[in-house]
Amino acid sequence: MATHDNTEHVSDATDEAVGWESKLRYFLNSDFVRSAPYWGIPFVLMSIAVYGGTGYNFAISFTDYEGLGTPDYSTLDLEMYAQALSSDAFIAAAQNNLVLLVGFTTICLVLGLFLAILLDHGIRFSEKFQTVYLLPMSLSFVVTAQLWLWMFNVESGILNLVVTTLGFNPVDWLGNPSIALGAVILALIWQFSGYTMVVYLAGLQSIPDDQFEAARVDGASITRTYLRIIVPQLKEASVSAAVVLMVFALKAFTFLYALVGRYRPPNGTDILATLMVRRAFKFGEWAYSAAIATMLLIMALGVIGPYLYYQYKQGGL
Amino acid sequence: MVEHDSSDESVNRRKYLKALTVGAAAGIAGCTGGGGTETESTESGNGNGSGGSTDDTETSGSSSGESWDSQLEVLHGWAGGDGEAAVTALIEAFEEEHPEMDTNFQAVGASANVNLNATILRRLANNNPMSSFANWPGKNLERYSGALMDLEADVWDAEGFKDTMQSRAVELCKFNDKMPAVPIGSHRMNNLFYNTAVFEEAGIDASSLDSVDALLDALETIDQNTDVTPMAQAMVAPWTNLQLWAQILTSQSGVEAYTNFIEGNPDRAAVVEALEALKTINENYITADASSISFTTAGQKVISGKAATIHQGNWVYGMFRADDSFNYKEQWDWIPFPGTEGIYFYHVDSIVAPSNNPSREETIAWQKFVGSKKAQIAFNNPKGSVPLRTDIDPSELTDFLAMTYEDLTDSEAYPPTIAHGLAVTPKTMGACKTAFGDNFMGPFNVEATADALVAAVSE
Repeated sequence: MATHDNTEHVSDATDEAVGWESKLRYFLNSDFVRSAPYWGIPFVLMSIAVYGGTGYNFAISFTDYEGLGTPDYSTLDLEMYAQALSSDAFIAAAQNNLVLLVGFTTICLVLGLFLAILLDHGIRFSEKFQTVYLLPMSLSFVVTAQLWLWMFNVESGILNLVVTTLGFNPVDWLGNPSIALGAVILALIWQFSGYTMVVYLAGLQSIPDDQFEAARVDGASITRTYLRIIVPQLKEASVSAAVVLMVFALKAFTFLYALVGRYRPPNGTDILATLMVRRAFKFGEWAYSAAIATMLLIMALGVIGPYLYYQYKQGGL
Repeated sequence: MVEHDSSDESVNRRKYLKALTVGAAAGIAGCTGGGGTETESTESGNGNGSGGSTDDTETSGSSSGESWDSQLEVLHGWAGGDGEAAVTALIEAFEEEHPEMDTNFQAVGASANVNLNATILRRLANNNPMSSFANWPGKNLERYSGALMDLEADVWDAEGFKDTMQSRAVELCKFNDKMPAVPIGSHRMNNLFYNTAVFEEAGIDASSLDSVDALLDALETIDQNTDVTPMAQAMVAPWTNLQLWAQILTSQSGVEAYTNFIEGNPDRAAVVEALEALKTINENYITADASSISFTTAGQKVISGKAATIHQGNWVYGMFRADDSFNYKEQWDWIPFPGTEGIYFYHVDSIVAPSNNPSREETIAWQKFVGSKKAQIAFNNPKGSVPLRTDIDPSELTDFLAMTYEDLTDSEAYPPTIAHGLAVTPKTMGACKTAFGDNFMGPFNVEATADALVAAVSE
């Protein structure tokens, strides 16, 4: 870039040892400037789209912005946060969010680990199983939501076919508010346990066979080998998988929206993301929704922050 | 959503990046500019609203003849089925009338106008209005308060619509001393559609159903005498319960009780009584999968004979008609919701114009067209709704619609629908839906729902 414009001044530059032109030239030739188009543009775009958006959201959340028009920044206060924290709908959504976060992540990790260990034992057709388990992950939320909506159907859904064959009464998966969240978690686990399996499998396959052999020579049982030797070595994999899953749990909005085609998910499954979008785009309560968004961001940072710190401690950053 | 027009084929990476940067810069300018001066945003009200499809080329009084300068951009939610057929017919008729005009009709899909309303709200909030959009008139317009165009002189008076439209529709299109909307069609809400074969099998005479109690008895009879589920109900969203409850309330306690409720003077005893009846229906007579199906699936159950009756707006007529083996007066028939004879429960679809309009002249021409006989007949026949003009020859409509149209022009009372925007503000409507969503999707908590409903309208 811009290095061809001062060829005439070369002789001048030699007169004074370091004239401003050559300083400029050095500067323009530096790695920093020459690489700028490559990192600069993404950086600018990121700052505008992500951090700019976050900042604007933050600013709005202190106003009383509602409906059409422009926000009024003359009186800034925490009223929207107070209003949200004292609202039953917000508390219920936050609780659901927490249940989703913990339940979904834990079960996904355990199930994924179990599947990974099975596959690591070199069972027959293990590659094919691997593909089968991973396949749901490649599907869009929109597809899986529709699929599960059919499977959850009380009369004709396959889940109730299984339940009634086993001799139980049909379950109203989405209609019963005390079951609905569990049903949603079940569907999400189906979609994401394949992902944890792959992460764990990669971790398992990087552990040298010697350790298994050594354990066997020492007379350790298989369970003991895994619990004491193998699983502790999967800490890295667990942490990174858990972070990805938690972030997915926080933004399960897509799944819930695709499930019913509207911003109000089945009774008992309202999460912060759906509440936020509903208040913003149905009622134009921009400030209130922005406050919810900020708190959602804090929750996400609460998940990511410790991970980044952990990585930093490990020397990964 | 679809804000790019795919005209340029040679979009290379550089152009794309440039566009992105410009867009991002405009975005941040919009963000930071919002806090600045308010005069700025009002001044940009004439013509060059940021990001509109037109630039400074304001039409200079060239409305006569067929020379249009700006693109007409209309957003609507009729993305499939009968709605799509209806809007296609409407667009074809319009393009016949104004072949020179550059038009852009966008269907913003998904159920119940969720995406449409969100898109409109977002674009109006960003001061990036379209020419017109489809929405309910009445209290629903509260959502767009302060951003609506006045069509009274240019459209309503110019075309004499105030004389040719139903007076109720005229009233519903008034908002804050402006008339920003032109009605396109009306659905009737107080319907009970039934499968004739099932009613025959159960030995029920539909014409004898004149009250909610009679309906409950009939549902019980169907339950006892046949294998068919007495009623199809879609509860994937709470609005179906809300509208059915409104019918029951009106049937049991009269139009006045309903009117009092929507006007903010609810009679709690009447509210509870109607909820009790709805609870009886939902607990005993509807299909078990109600919680996971939409009203189209529920309608299919009546067609396939798995359910005997359904209460819905007469948009299900558009659905029934699509099935050639399921015909009016043969396989299915209709009665007004039991106990609401002589009442036409009022629903209106309209086309609304926002202020700061990017294509003033084109919008006026389009809105004039929407109110014309030609448009109303072209749209309503496929849609399954009826025109709001009083001078339509019923023979231009299908049999069922002609019957509905006669009721539209000749009923005793026309209560506006609560679940579809006319009766209460969007906020109150949302609170009423939440009342059902939180407490009445099974288990059915009558007291809590009643409290929430009363609180919703009393606020």
